[in-house]
Parts: sequence; structure tokens; C-alpha cells
Amino acid sequence: MTRKEYIIKQKKMGRHIFGVFPAQYPREILWAMNVAPVEIWDPPLEITGANAHLQPYICSVVKLGLELILQGKCDDLDGFLFPHTCDSIQNLASIVNDYLGMEKPCYFFYHPKAPFRDSSRIFYMEHLKGLAALLKQQLGPLDFSKLNQCVEQGRQVTSLLRELYNMRASGEISASNVQFYRVIRQGEFLLPDDFIPLLEEFLTASKGRSVAGPAVILSGVLPNPPEILTLLDELGVRVADDDFLSCSRRLLVPFSQARDPFEAMAETYFAMPPCTTKGSSIDERLNYLFGKIEGSGARGVIFDMVKFCEPELFDVPQLVKELKERGLATLVIDSELNQGLSGQLNTRVEAFVEMIS
Amino acid sequence: MKDLGAPALMGISKVGKKSRPIKPDPHFGPPLKCTKRLKEIMTRHYMLSRYAEGAKPVAWVTSGAPVEVLRPFGIYTVYPENHGALCGAKKMGPELCAVAEEHGYHQDLCSYARIDLGHYFSGKTPAGKLPKPDLLFASNNICQTVAYWYKALSHYLKIPLILFDTPYNFREITDSDISYMVRQFEEMIPVLEQVSGRQFNYRKLQEYVRIGKDASLTWGEVLATMKSRPAPMTIFDAFGHMVPIVSLRGLPLALEYYRTLLSELRERVSHGVGAIKRERKRLMWDNIAIWYKMRDHSSLFAGQGMNFVTATYTNAWAETTPYMDENRPFESMARAYSLVILNNNLNSRLELMERLIKEYQVDGLVIHSARSCKPYSVGQYDLKRLLMERLEVPSVIIEADITDSRAYSEEQTRTRLEAFFEAMEG
Repeated sequence: MTRKEYIIKQKKMGRHIFGVFPAQYPREILWAMNVAPVEIWDPPLEITGANAHLQPYICSVVKLGLELILQGKCDDLDGFLFPHTCDSIQNLASIVNDYLGMEKPCYFFYHPKAPFRDSSRIFYMEHLKGLAALLKQQLGPLDFSKLNQCVEQGRQVTSLLRELYNMRASGEISASNVQFYRVIRQGEFLLPDDFIPLLEEFLTASKGRSVAGPAVILSGVLPNPPEILTLLDELGVRVADDDFLSCSRRLLVPFSQARDPFEAMAETYFAMPPCTTKGSSIDERLNYLFGKIEGSGARGVIFDMVKFCEPELFDVPQLVKELKERGLATLVIDSELNQGLSGQLNTRVEAFVEMIS
Repeated sequence: MKDLGAPALMGISKVGKKSRPIKPDPHFGPPLKCTKRLKEIMTRHYMLSRYAEGAKPVAWVTSGAPVEVLRPFGIYTVYPENHGALCGAKKMGPELCAVAEEHGYHQDLCSYARIDLGHYFSGKTPAGKLPKPDLLFASNNICQTVAYWYKALSHYLKIPLILFDTPYNFREITDSDISYMVRQFEEMIPVLEQVSGRQFNYRKLQEYVRIGKDASLTWGEVLATMKSRPAPMTIFDAFGHMVPIVSLRGLPLALEYYRTLLSELRERVSHGVGAIKRERKRLMWDNIAIWYKMRDHSSLFAGQGMNFVTATYTNAWAETTPYMDENRPFESMARAYSLVILNNNLNSRLELMERLIKEYQVDGLVIHSARSCKPYSVGQYDLKRLLMERLEVPSVIIEADITDSRAYSEEQTRTRLEAFFEAMEG
């Protein structure tokens, strides 16, 4: 089922559909309030209208998201949620809410930035409850027991994802890189009732030996252009793990044993993998990457950057330097979303693979 | 609201050097006498900074950070954004940016950050020498960029970074936001005590908040003199004279300076002395200055009889001052620093610009779309459209950068400005 078909189906079932911009948000609150969050990362559109609102030096995640709205493809949505991921998404939220004259409700979710302190935890808890209170005006009250169920479902999703990632790191998954991310990315719009069985099925179906080629880690915002995955498959390279903002950095969260669902969500947020959009230090990010490299036997890291993505581009020089000092190969590429791999990038990836083979 | 004061700082390096006299531009009125005093103050500040290292704890601070909280600890403050502006004005931006780029920092990143990192790697600076910091103090009320940039510095220099995290005001500021920021102040006190070796003195903080508030209010009065016709100074003057309110905020010297400047400006107003000789049109500037083009732009607009009488940028250090209250220093600083233009939603910015246009009787608007500053620039295309719709104010967008002149096209800018000048006469 395509994303569009799924949205229509959920709408018919009486669910509210929210467009959610990257990256991190308390999905359990939305699920519990009968909302199907549909994440907007890289819709396959040609950018035309968004250029009248955004400068040429703004990243294509932001531009494509706005383009989706301007082309009327969000008209059936019931609202938007903008997490505070970077300056550009922050201002995009305000453009949509303040300048476009849309009647659709827009919500904003601010994450405290690291280094985290007691004040961060108190604020985050209050902010979670504040978001629920705001949503209540549109969607009705939040059912506490339903929220508990959704937190539990979130744990199940995470547990399955973790198992998949572990299998992949150990070379025990037969699925290609393309197949792997096709499934993972279904979580950007499937509700847990549908995503959990899909993950279970994929787990069972893809048990087997991974390709015997060299292993790499991918880092960046999201696995786009998808052609990079195809190319790595063709070259026999196993993506052993990732450090994508859209994937492991926000999906592989530790479990919380807290009984209070808000506390559980807060604990999860503060224990999430390090990420530049949260303000994590370089050392934390390096330790995280080294952990992944050791756990998977990867020989190198490919930094797959979205052009103009400031949060990512600021960390890369230091990450690359330290990785190189430990004898690991690195490759930094940057491209616009959905623009494919240019011949030059293709050659650079091939040369990189030759180097680590 | 990043950076500042490059023109004034440019003068610093000229002290003791022979320089060719600059031919006065016939379009300008008499120069401000206070400029000499400004140079003295800032020269002293930068000279002292050379000797601060080892003698006093030094902090590198972002322009929007609540510096008052550092003052009771005797911490010497240096502003890398100010230094970036200076490098830009001295046309050293591309050179220092290139050094950072050689170390992997992408050309698309903020050029203040690249200049600072370029300075870190090369030691090059037109300011003689910057003292090594013991502490980094940043606030993301102006952008998230400073958080990434200072995090990199913290990694390289192995020194602590205090981030004052200000939740973005998508709607109204909330009690929860205020409490969060107040708690952060309380949490940073022990760190500052450790770095400085001094005990926190609450009364001293109150005193610095009071002086800082008075200085900011006076700065606001300085800007308000430009409501007069003709305006007694240009916004290009103000870009220079804003250095103390950024770099010396909370110190008596800044207050003293702005009282002197205000007095001079009021005298000019009373005698009808304008910054430019023939003020036919009054303009507003949006965003940070294009530091390497200050002189050219200043002359170009003056030649057209057009004077910039207000800017969202210079206004940023006066706009939220009334919130400051020495009796509630933490709470009031939280409010004042969180409600600055770049931490507020775009509707607030539109309302602010509408108000400035009316109060300063603005005829046209020049919008600098700065590659380096996304929070300032994203939304400008819509602002331009909305201001035209609501107030019928013609405007022009210049695509450029604050300090990296490689991102500036002389020809494209000229073409756009010529069209703007025509529209202004229409």
C-alpha cells in the first residue's frame, strides 16, 4: 500500500492525519490522540513554488516540505507538527503558520538542547504535557491509559528495529540495502498496529547471510538519494549500520521502565543516541560511531550530506578527522534530495569501495 | 542580531600608522565627533584583551548571550562575531574562511563561524591577538548555528561551553519557558564560580543588570533620534556605534558613551544637522550589514539622497530592554533575551517592521538576504511581499553574505539597486 493510499484509509477510519516535519517528536502522544503522523522528509516533487518563499541556500528537506504544502498535497491533512530541528525548519514553521494564510492548525515542539541538566528534564516533561494540552483543543482529551498502550507499542517497534539493526550489524540479514531502508522508512507513516507486523514479517523473511563484501556505516540526515543504496548493493557493500537522523539516531532509543508515560517519553528522549540537532558533543557522537564500527566490523563511514544542512556539516570535519586518525576510511558527499547520484559522485563512491575492499 | 561594529574597529588597527587621508564625500554632513571616543574605547578594550589571558578569566561570548551574568565574576569577554565583522570589513573574510574550508568546513556554513575557525587554525587576525578563552558562553536566541560553532570550539580548545538555551517563541512565551531559563541561570552559577574562582555576588549582578538596562535604553534613545528629519546619523554609523552595547553591555563605560553620543545627536537634531546633506528618502535595512561593502553602500545611497534611518538589526539591542529588572534579574533577563527578534515568530517580526516603518517614516526597504544567517533570512521573501501589500513600501532584496565577499555579485546587486532607485522615484 502506498503512503497516499494508507493516508486515505486512515482518514476513512476516522483518524486525524498530521504532516510532521523532521525529526524528533513524541509520536506516542499523537497515536494516543487518534492521529496518524505522516512524516515529511523528501517528497518526490519538483521544486517550483517553494523558490518564491525560500532562498537558494536553503536545504531541500525544507524546500520539498514547503513544496508539498504549496502544491496542495497536504490539503486533506488535519494539522502540522514542526519539531525544532534547525533554524530553517524553525522559520519554515513560522512561514506556514504566519504567512501562508492557511487555516490548518500548526503545532511546534521544542527540544531542550544539550548539554542536558535538571532544567532540561523538567522543561521537557512540561513541554510534553503542554503539547498534549494544545492538541486537546483540536482533538479532545488525552486518554491516559491509551497513552500507556501507545508507549508500550513504541517499545515494541523499537525492540523490533533494534533486533533488525543487530542482525544487520552481525551480517545475519539477507535483505539488500535498498530493501532494508524501504521497510524502515515505512515507519514514517505507518501506525504501530501496521508497522509492527511488517517488521515481524521482514525479520522472519530476511534472516540469512548478508553479502560478503566490505561493510560501511552511513551517516547523515536520511538515506537519500536512494541511488546510493542501489549502487552499494551493486558493488556488494553491506551497510552494516547507520547514523542517520531519520533512522538510528531517533529510532534506536533505549527503553524506559518508568510507569508514568510522560516520564517514559522524557527518559527516552534524554537517552537517545547523540545527534547534532540536540546539541550532542562531538565526543558523544564519536563514541557512538566507534561503537557502531566495532559492533559491525565496518571499514569506513560514508557521510551522505544534504546540501546546506548546517547541523550536519558543522560536525563532519571533526568526525572525519578523528575517524581517519583511527585508520578508518571516510567519504563525504553532498547532494540535493531526489536528484540521483551524479557521475562524479558515482565514481567517488566506487573509488571509496575499492579502497576498503 | 549577530555581530558588530566593524567600521569602528577598523580604526583600531590604524592607530599609530600613517594612512592616506580619505577624501570627504560631498553627500555627507559633518562627521560625528563621538566616533573618536568610540575608537578610544574599543581600542582600549581590544588592547586590554591582549593582556587578559592569564590575568583574568576570558570568555568568548555570542552577541545575544546574557552577558550580565558573567560580569560579577570579573570575566573578560570577547565577541567572535564582532571579530568576524572586523575581518569582514578589513576584507579578510575570504582568506580566513578558506582556512576553515581547508579543514573541512563547508563554504555553505556561516562565515562568522568559518572566520573564527580560520582564526583558530591560523592565528591570523587584524586585531593583533585574541586572548585564548577559558570558557565559551553561547545562547541560541540568535541561531542554532552558534551552538554548533561553539561546540566545535569547545572540542578543539577542550574548555567548557555553557549554552543558554532559549525556546523559540512560535507563539507567546510561556511560564514554563521562563522557568526553564531561570533554572539554567541557577545551574550555570557554580560553573562560573569554578572558572573564575570567585563567589557569586547577587547584588553585583543586580547592579550590572541595572547598568546594562540603562545603557540599552540609552542606545534605544540614540536610535530614536533618527526619527527626526533629517536624521542626525545613518544606519551605517549606527552599525559602528553599536559595538559598546554588544561588547561592553553591563559595564558603566557603555552607558557613559551612549549618554555622550545621545547628547551630540540631540544637538544635531536641534540644529537641523543631517547625516547626509540632502535627505530625500528614508530607508530601513533588514539583517546584518554587508561588512565589506559598508563604505560603498553608504556612499551609493547618500548619493541618491537616501538615508537609512532604522534597521531591525541595530534595534535588536534596544527592543526588549524594558523587560530587564534588577529586582528580578534572572527572570527578567530570561524574558528580555528570549524575546529578541530572531527568537520570535515571523509574525512578530512583521509587526515590528511595520511599526518601525511607521515610526521612522520609512519610504523603502533594503533586505539583505544573508547566506550566513538562516534565521534572519528565511522568511524575508514573504516579508517583502506582505510589507508591500500592507504598507505599499517598495523594497529590494540583495543576495549576499555578511563577511564572505565571494558570495557577493557586484553586477547583480547594482542591477537590483538601480531598479529599486527607479521604483523609489516612481
